[in-house]
Amino acid sequence: MVANYVRRIYTNFATNIIDIPPRLLALLCFFILLVFPVTGPNVLLLYVLTYTNLIAIFAGSWDLLVGRVGQISLGHALFFGIGAYGTALLYKFYQLPMWVTIPSAIIIAVAVSILVGFPSLRVKGPYLALITMTFPLIFVSAILYFKQWTGGENGIAGLPSFFSLQFFVERGFSYSAALYMQKVSEYYMTLLLLLVSGIIIYKIANSKTGIVFVSILDDELASKASGINTTRYKLMAFAISACFASLSGAVFAHILTSIGPGGTLSVALSFLPVIMTVFGGIGTIYGAIAATFIIQILDLYILTDLVPIPMEWHPLIFIIIVIIFVIKWPRGIARFVVEDVLKELSKEREIEERGKHVWKKYKKKKQEATESAPED
Amino acid sequence: MTLIENFLITGALAGAVYALLALGFTLIYGVAGVVNMAHGALFMLGAFLFFAFGPLGSFGLGVFPALVLAAIFVGITGSIVYVLTIHQIIRDMLAVLVVTIGVALLFQQVIVIVFGAVFGSAYQAVPPLLDGYQTFLGVRVPNSRLLVAVVSLSLIAIVWTFISKLKIGRAMRAVAQDREAAMLMGINTTKLYMMTMAISASLAAIAGIFIASSTTTTADPAMWLRPLVMSFAIVILGGLGSIKGTIIGAFIIGYVESAVVVFLPQESFLASAFTLAIMVVVLLVRPRGLFGRRIELE
Repeated sequence: MVANYVRRIYTNFATNIIDIPPRLLALLCFFILLVFPVTGPNVLLLYVLTYTNLIAIFAGSWDLLVGRVGQISLGHALFFGIGAYGTALLYKFYQLPMWVTIPSAIIIAVAVSILVGFPSLRVKGPYLALITMTFPLIFVSAILYFKQWTGGENGIAGLPSFFSLQFFVERGFSYSAALYMQKVSEYYMTLLLLLVSGIIIYKIANSKTGIVFVSILDDELASKASGINTTRYKLMAFAISACFASLSGAVFAHILTSIGPGGTLSVALSFLPVIMTVFGGIGTIYGAIAATFIIQILDLYILTDLVPIPMEWHPLIFIIIVIIFVIKWPRGIARFVVEDVLKELSKEREIEERGKHVWKKYKKKKQEATESAPED
Repeated sequence: MTLIENFLITGALAGAVYALLALGFTLIYGVAGVVNMAHGALFMLGAFLFFAFGPLGSFGLGVFPALVLAAIFVGITGSIVYVLTIHQIIRDMLAVLVVTIGVALLFQQVIVIVFGAVFGSAYQAVPPLLDGYQTFLGVRVPNSRLLVAVVSLSLIAIVWTFISKLKIGRAMRAVAQDREAAMLMGINTTKLYMMTMAISASLAAIAGIFIASSTTTTADPAMWLRPLVMSFAIVILGGLGSIKGTIIGAFIIGYVESAVVVFLPQESFLASAFTLAIMVVVLLVRPRGLFGRRIELE
C-alpha cells in the first residue's frame, strides 16, 4: 500500500521532472543551492545569497509583467519599497507580528499596483515606461515629507528578524555560531520562498491566463476583438507582479532589519530586474531567476576572489555584457541553454529511442520470418 | 511684493534651460522614435567634459572654449553611441530603452573610474560662466544664470529655424512623418538619425554645462537622473515629439518648480514631486500630452 504510493509519487516525479532536461537542470541547480551551506561559507556570502534569492523573486515578477504582458515598468522598485515600508511601518506603529505585517504589506502593494496600473490602461509604450519610472521618485518624496513617521532619509531601524539570535544563544550556541545559524536559517527560508514563488510565477505564465497575457503582448487589438477584457488582464498582471515584488521587499526588510529609501526605492533597484531579465532571456521567468544567480556569483565570487578586478569595474563589465546581449543575442543565456542545447539533447535521445523501437520491430519481424521459414 | 516678482523671474530662467534640456530629448524621439534614456548621461558627460577642459581641469581653457569643445565632443559621442547601439535595434522599443539605460549607467561608471583616477574624485565643483549679478524688479539675478537663459533661448531659436527652414530640417520632418516614404524619396535615414542624435546630444551637453555651472555648481556621476526625469515630465506634458509642446511644457515645469521653491521654501525638496504629479495628472486626462500627436488606437 505504502510502496504503491511511493512508486506512484516516484513515477510522477520521474515523468514530470527527470525526463524533461530543463526541469532536471533546474532541480540540479536547486539542489546545489540547497547543499551550498555545507561548504561553510562566511556570513557575508550567506547574506549575499539570501539577498540574491529575494532579487530573483523580484526579477521574476518583473519578467511576468514586462516579458509576458508587455507593460513596460521601469519603476518596479515602487512595489519592493511598498513591501518593505508597509511591513516596517505596521511594525513600528502597531507592533504587529510578522505573519500579519508581511501579508498586509503585500495587500497594500497589490492595491497600489491597481492604482498604478490605471495609467497603463490609457498610455502605452514609451509613455508607460516613463510614467512608471517616476512613481518611486514620488514615493520617495512622500517618505521625505512625512519624516516624523517614516524617518526620512534615515529610514526605519530595529525591525524584528525571522530567527532571533536569542533563540540560538539560549540553546547553547556561542554568539558567532548563533549569528551563523541565523544567516543559514534565513538563507533556507528565502530559498524555499524563491522555489515556491518561482514555480507559482512560472505556472501563471504558462497557464490559460498566461496565454491571454502573451496575446496582449503580441496584439492587443486582436485580443480585444476576440472578446478578451484586456483591461482586467493588464490590471491582473500588475497585481500579480506587485504581489511577488512586495513579498521580496517585505522579507528583505526583516532580513536587513532596517530600511531606508536608498536601498528599497532607488533607481538602481528598478533597473536591476531589467538587467537580470535581459541577460537571462526576456519572457522566460526561469531566465530572470537564473541570470540573477549568474550575475551575483560572477560579481561577488568569481570577479572578487578568483580573478580579482577592482570593484568599480564590475558594473562596467555587466553593463557591457547586457548591451551586447540585447543587440546581438536578444534571446538571452537561459533561453539559449534550455531551448537550444537541452532541446537538442532531448531530440537526440528521442531519435535514439525511436531507433531502438524500430530496431526491435525489425528484429521481431526477422525472428518471425525465420520461425515461419522452416514450416514451408 | 518681491515674492511674486521672484517667482516670475526664476520661473522664466529655469524654463529656458529646461526647454533646452528637453528639446534634444523630444527631437530624437520625434525624428527617430527613440526614447533616449541616455539623455541625462549625455547631460552629465557635458558637465564633466566642461570641467575637464575648463579653468579648473587639466586643459585649463577658458570657460567659453571649454563649453564649445565639450558640446562638440558630446555631439560626436552621441552619434557614435547611436551607430554602435541604437541603430541596430531601432525597431524594438523595449530594447532601445534597455540599451540606452545601459549606456547611461556605463557613462556614469566610466566617469567614476576616469575622474576618480585623474582628479582624485568624481565630485567636482564647476566654475560659473560669469561673475556678478544684475537686479531686476528688486530681484538679484546672477549674471551667469541670465546668460544661460539668453543663450538657451537663442539656441532654441536656431534649432527651430534649422528644422523649419533648412533642407536638412525638412528631411527630418519628412522622416518623422513617414520613414518609409522619406527613404523612397532618397533620404539617407541613417545619416539623418546620426545627425539628429549629434544635435540632441550637444543640446543635452550644453544644458548640462549651463545647469551645472549656474544652478547646482557641482558635477557628480549620479546627476543624470534628475535632468532625465525633468525631460520626461516636460516632454510628456508637452507631447512626445512636439517641439512647440516641449518649450511650453518646459516653462510650465519651470514655473511650477519656482512656485514651490519661492512660496513653500520649507518644502522645496518636493519641487520635483510636484512636477511629476502634474505630469501624471496631465497624462491621465490627456494621454498624448498638450500638443502631442494623436496616439493611434493600436
